[in-house]
Amino acid sequence: MTSTSTSTFAHAPATRATTSRAASGLMMRGLRTITRLPSAFFPAMLMPIFQSVAFSGTFFAITHVPGFPTDRSINWFMPLGVLMGSAFAGVGLGFSLIRDLETGFFDRLRMSPAPRNSLILGPMYAAWFRSLFVAVVVAGVGFALGARLTGGVLGMVMLFGGAMGIATVATGWGLGLAFIFQDMRGAAIMQLGLFISMFLSTAQAPLSVMTGWLHGVASLNPITNILRMSRQGFVNHTVNGHTVGPGVTWHDTWGGLIAIVGLSVAAVIFARRGLNKLDA
Amino acid sequence: MAVMSGTNANNDSPIYAEGLVRHFGDVKAVDGVDLQVNAGEVFGFLGPNGAGKSTTVRMLTTLLRPTAGVARVAGFDVVKEADQVRRRIGVALQDAAIDPLMTGHELLALQAVLYGIPKAKVRDRSRELLERVGLTGAADRRVGTYSGGMRRRLDLALSLIHQPTVLFLDEPTTGLDPMSRLALWEEVRRLNAEGTTVLLTTQYLEEADQLADRIAIIDHGKIVRQGEPRELKAQVGAPTLVITVPAGQLDQAREVLRSFGELRPTAEGSLGVGLSAGAEAVPAVVRSLDDSGMQVQHLALNEPSLDDVFAEATGYRLEGAASASGLPQAQGAEGGTGKRGRKRGANESASESA
Amino acid sequence: MSTGTIATRTEFAHSAETSHAWAQTMAMSKRSIIAIVRQPALIIPSLIFPLFFAALGASSFNRATQLPGFPKVDSFLALTLAASVLQGVIFGSVTGGAALAVDIETGFFDRLLASPTSRVSILIGRLAGNALFGSVEALFFTLVMIPFGVNIRSGPAGIAVITLAGGLIGLSIGGFMAAMALRTGSAEAVQGVFPLLFVSMFFSSAFFPRETMQGIYRTIANYNPLSHLYEGMRDLVITGWSFDAVLKSLLIPVGIGFASIPLALLALRRRLRAV
Repeated sequence: MTSTSTSTFAHAPATRATTSRAASGLMMRGLRTITRLPSAFFPAMLMPIFQSVAFSGTFFAITHVPGFPTDRSINWFMPLGVLMGSAFAGVGLGFSLIRDLETGFFDRLRMSPAPRNSLILGPMYAAWFRSLFVAVVVAGVGFALGARLTGGVLGMVMLFGGAMGIATVATGWGLGLAFIFQDMRGAAIMQLGLFISMFLSTAQAPLSVMTGWLHGVASLNPITNILRMSRQGFVNHTVNGHTVGPGVTWHDTWGGLIAIVGLSVAAVIFARRGLNKLDA
Repeated sequence: MAVMSGTNANNDSPIYAEGLVRHFGDVKAVDGVDLQVNAGEVFGFLGPNGAGKSTTVRMLTTLLRPTAGVARVAGFDVVKEADQVRRRIGVALQDAAIDPLMTGHELLALQAVLYGIPKAKVRDRSRELLERVGLTGAADRRVGTYSGGMRRRLDLALSLIHQPTVLFLDEPTTGLDPMSRLALWEEVRRLNAEGTTVLLTTQYLEEADQLADRIAIIDHGKIVRQGEPRELKAQVGAPTLVITVPAGQLDQAREVLRSFGELRPTAEGSLGVGLSAGAEAVPAVVRSLDDSGMQVQHLALNEPSLDDVFAEATGYRLEGAASASGLPQAQGAEGGTGKRGRKRGANESASESA
Repeated sequence: MSTGTIATRTEFAHSAETSHAWAQTMAMSKRSIIAIVRQPALIIPSLIFPLFFAALGASSFNRATQLPGFPKVDSFLALTLAASVLQGVIFGSVTGGAALAVDIETGFFDRLLASPTSRVSILIGRLAGNALFGSVEALFFTLVMIPFGVNIRSGPAGIAVITLAGGLIGLSIGGFMAAMALRTGSAEAVQGVFPLLFVSMFFSSAFFPRETMQGIYRTIANYNPLSHLYEGMRDLVITGWSFDAVLKSLLIPVGIGFASIPLALLALRRRLRAV
């Protein structure tokens, strides 16, 4: 055997990737899955389309309840579909992480000198792209079925902002649970948690129409704020249950922004802690 | 660079561990491992499944924190300077999968990004590595279509993307066909010749014998032997000289051989003697037999094998060797970090109690 | 060996076949029930989700019940009971179908075929398990909703009909799922049918009455047999005992079963021929 006895420490270039470059590399991998494993992505897109269509058809009569902020059920349910689709796009990255943890691919990433934050940010970037894609498609179907934008361009910004916000929260939630469970049990909790928290809000009806226990829960649920912000382009602005008119207002926006920032920070910390725990 | 208390903080060895311990609950998977691998050497790390090999490697490669003890790789502390360690090591782990949805080329590009290889160099470096491991033609195929041998070669290429100082190869040839195994051995030799220090874990004693300058045997979380294979074999005992003489001369030949060492059991019709003076005594044995008028029909010198070293150190033989010796075989299973590591710990415990 | 002996043996084999067919069907249905009971992770969602949606609907849509087109009810829960039963049974049937597909995937189905078990009993046994689970679910949802103010106006006899209907729905939807499982041999494909069935619920009067719908939704709901099934069960809850409601509740699942069970038998025959 030939061996060199001199020190070879100078052998390695000892380089390190920047967070953004490493995260972009990982994002590309996350996006590639869409075309390479469509069965893992497209259900997440078809479901919100179906939900928007089915809910607006079945629950059409709800728009006749006094105080309902729009006369078009698709205007009410399409933004819900967009947010639901974005949330599931985010959770999908959690599923991918579980697969990487189970197969050992994630060990490869952990052994690399890539900044630890990039291991969270990479999937996050991918989730944003996926959520934008889902948002465009679901909104497109919504418009085709008669949704009318009453809040102008700013209304669309609110919808897409809400979608990306919820995708951030869902990704953090998904990654964190994936790190904790490291198997498919985590996937069930990811979906269930998200599904339940989304529906325990103004998902189906506005607070002014709700009665009973759900009214209390939805008032406290920060997702209600995100939905309120995201729906502004499509429903009338209401003050104390009275319809004021269409358009985007700061009143209906700030609560959503705070909810997005607060939940996103919490979810990202949750994911980062999960990653740290993996090293222990 | 962090200073270790009570240890040789200035140790320049590419891999250095002192009192390395890892517990999974109540199970001591690694129980006080001391290792020193010298620059430019191929170091064989032997042990049965569940002995603590992979857990040790996972600690050395920053995937798992030690419960106690210190380890430095490429001159840096694996806990306090994990990032510096990661920049200098290449790792091909047995259970670190390759994404089957990506092509070989894409995986190398991703790996290059993660290791901060400048964009301009990524293409050349990938091409060079693919050529080196003979995967140029398959570079744009999805890894899911690769054979086991191709995946291992790609894995090796991935671990070399940043020209590491220290290379960890965890069971690199397990499950490979003989041709693929030989090709991988050749590559390891080549890398070593280029100055890369290699730590190789294996269950195959022949592999360690072929490749390693020095070896360590780990059993139940402890290093039970460490040194050069030749030295370790010599410690096991004298080589056995086996001769065949005509049936009528057996008794006389036995008398002659006795003066060179203790007689050892061999197959019927032949005689064996443990040469207390070592292999150097062979000419003298032949001369004595000749002087006594013996007609030596066949002669063979059997050096102790690593299998003998292993058996002597652990009390059992690695799989495949047990039937010959009648000693119990090594059993158990070993896994990875975190959850898998804990499961592995449980298996180790089971094999220990068994 | 004499001819007489052969005849006796044949006779014995024949009588054994007929007498054992029932026992085999019972054994297969017992196995399918045990499989359901021992995997709470599979059945709990089919019990919890419909209740979650019913609770959500009751809070979200209670005010809508005062709109024109809605029947007079005390609570939205009374309207949604039938939908909860169907949701639960669909969940359960998909699980049952997927279990059959898993049997095929793992080779357990082949082992059954290699045994002298009657071929039809393999299928009927599983469907019987489905039907029993459907009845249990229907009864469960009814009993859970009563304390929350749902007054079953048709009384215990109505509850019995709803329970029986749950079983028949389980049998008929289970038939489709079994056909899918036997045809494809893939649990994933069976799971893939779930959204389709779920969609069909939204294009019916499962949640809101047909009278409140518009356009194409209303047309589809008018033709969807599930609408008439719901309305039968719903009338038993909110109006009272009527021959029409009983007929709708029982005959529509039977009608669906007339389509689905032969489909399952056909798929079984096709699979047996392929073996």
